[in-house]
Amino acid sequence: MSAVTKLIKPNLGALRQLQQYRNIVNLSATAALRSRNELFSQEQRRQREAVGRIEKIEVRYLGLPEDVTLVMNNHISTPYNCAQHLSEGHCKRAALALIDGTVPWDMHRPLQESCTLQLLNFNVSEPHLVNKAFWRTCSFMLGAALQRTFKDEAKLELHSFPGPNIKSGSFVHDIVLGTQSWEPTKAEMRAISAEMVKLSAQDLRIERLEVDKDVAIEMFKDSRYKSEQLPSIAQQNQGRVTLYRLGEHIDISRGPMVASTRFLGKCTISAAHKVASEGAASAFYRIQGVALPSGFTLNHFAYGLLEQRSQKLNSARLPNEPFEEQQQQQMQLS
Amino acid sequence: MLRTVIGDLARLRLSNSASPSIVLVTQVREKGHLSRPRQKNPYWFVRQQRTQTEDLVTGENRNFINEVVHDTYGAPAIIKGIQTYEQKQLVKTPAPPNTDEQLWTPGLRRSGLIARKIGQYPLWLKNGERVRTTLLQVVDNHVIKYIPPEEYKPSQRPHVHNLNKYGCLLVGAESTNPALLTKEYCGIFRDSGVMPTKSLARFIVSPQAALAAGTPLNVGHFRVGDFVDVRGKTVDHGFQGVVKRHGFKGMPASHGVTKTHRRAGNIGGGGEKGRVWPGTKMPGHMGNRWRILKGLRIWRINTKYNVMWVQGSSVPGSTNGLVYIYDTILPLRKSKDAPPFPTLYEQPDAENAPEDIWYDQVHNFKDETITYKPE
Repeated sequence: MSAVTKLIKPNLGALRQLQQYRNIVNLSATAALRSRNELFSQEQRRQREAVGRIEKIEVRYLGLPEDVTLVMNNHISTPYNCAQHLSEGHCKRAALALIDGTVPWDMHRPLQESCTLQLLNFNVSEPHLVNKAFWRTCSFMLGAALQRTFKDEAKLELHSFPGPNIKSGSFVHDIVLGTQSWEPTKAEMRAISAEMVKLSAQDLRIERLEVDKDVAIEMFKDSRYKSEQLPSIAQQNQGRVTLYRLGEHIDISRGPMVASTRFLGKCTISAAHKVASEGAASAFYRIQGVALPSGFTLNHFAYGLLEQRSQKLNSARLPNEPFEEQQQQQMQLS
Repeated sequence: MLRTVIGDLARLRLSNSASPSIVLVTQVREKGHLSRPRQKNPYWFVRQQRTQTEDLVTGENRNFINEVVHDTYGAPAIIKGIQTYEQKQLVKTPAPPNTDEQLWTPGLRRSGLIARKIGQYPLWLKNGERVRTTLLQVVDNHVIKYIPPEEYKPSQRPHVHNLNKYGCLLVGAESTNPALLTKEYCGIFRDSGVMPTKSLARFIVSPQAALAAGTPLNVGHFRVGDFVDVRGKTVDHGFQGVVKRHGFKGMPASHGVTKTHRRAGNIGGGGEKGRVWPGTKMPGHMGNRWRILKGLRIWRINTKYNVMWVQGSSVPGSTNGLVYIYDTILPLRKSKDAPPFPTLYEQPDAENAPEDIWYDQVHNFKDETITYKPE
């Protein structure tokens, strides 16, 4: 009996570690999704092995409880690892890292040189960087939630999500459905909101990976719209594409995102507007929602006002409009 | 309640020969609820006050939220002496019917009012007699909804004979900021368009007395000279001894009395039933019970501040406590002529409406003083 338990215990530990990084494999996950994840994991491992000889960098942490200098591994250590040297509270509270006082950095993205590091949460005095990252993450999570909620008959294809604009009142994800007459009911919207809350409860880590254009094209070969977008995205980023993974969902985004899905608090997916028809049977839809970070409470009246505002059609660039370079430059400036 | 009825019937049977014009009633007031402790809220319970957490809202946004509240419900204003909101959208209540006298019949039940007991002082009748009166102010009443008899199946049934003939009128008092209340509680008011209120009450009414959601109820619903029943929660005296609680005489303060001045004394006899009988009066918790005072005459009404002066000084509850006012059920004091039915619709431009309405017998303070003729 004891021999059996000795065998089981380390396996349990390994399983727990796996779950920390992604959720239990969805039984209905398609082969395409699984192969995409495999490629992602392979590329992650390849990049880790490509570091070679480990060099040390000095990371100067500025903040509470005191400013310290940490000696970390170049191209391997992440701001999350620096937080682990400080305390568990730092790990749990930090949503985004700030490098050299100016550059927002994902918590799980390896550091590339000696720098100063600040760990940002939603209560800092200048929260606009964290807020934008949060809004972007909400759009990203919305894509994952939609993937899980729609049935196969709906022929859902995720298109993209525009850059975050908090003042517009809603975060957005554009999709293509295989029907031109979808009128969302209240129950359906609530189901999507519930899926977002479930993702938040699972505390899924958001991983970043920068890949070459070819790898990205290979990963998204089954998605028509992503394949169309990838060349122009790569062209603007020196042939590299930034990907983010959340559980089993992988998407393309400039970043940065917050560290984990647990930072999502109250969330409502409020509207789904039909933007344009696509072909004979499909149409573009814009799914909109509003959310608060976790730990922020708001009375129902004020939150109701936010929900009403988020129902109005978001004025961000529509998916069927041509993706002009000028527009992208405007976005990069903002 | 049951024990008084059985007692009455027994006494009626015994004194069958003499026509009983007076029936002596010993009121047995029981607790009104079971001794089993309540461990969880009933399924219909809706929490009213939301837990006040620090909403980290900027000052600018707080002002904006207030603006939205004022736009939706009207600016805060003092209406008839009560701090409330203007509620402009409620002005469009349905026009009152032209022939309301013919609608009313003696068997019909109409709505009541929610009021606050604001004080007491005496009034004098024209023959010089002094009457003690209690002032009840009707606080910002609005009809929230009407539930017809077919749909009204309450889990806590009121003590009304033939309840399936009557509907339920939900009335709210004292409008308040919805941001301070829970979403579920505000959901009760969502369809009516009325601003959420601090207190709610149900009144069992006949279908003919149904009112539209948003109708304001004022003190003119009752008339001077009418009799009303007033229900309120009695003052909580806490744990009290028998002298205060049951009016026992106690024992002398001196003359050799040892250690027994305010005690109950004997609590039972001997013999075959030699035990303490259930219901024996003993010290215990006194007050904080719902009690109805029946048959109080309205001596005076003030329409400017929605105040009525009712007979007596024993209206249950302390000052500024809530009371619920109903048409009396006492058969000899019910009015024979039609009251405002289903309610008095106040015209907004009624400049000639009298502010102070006095009952005939009551001496108006503005009149000449009462004089007695020398004998």
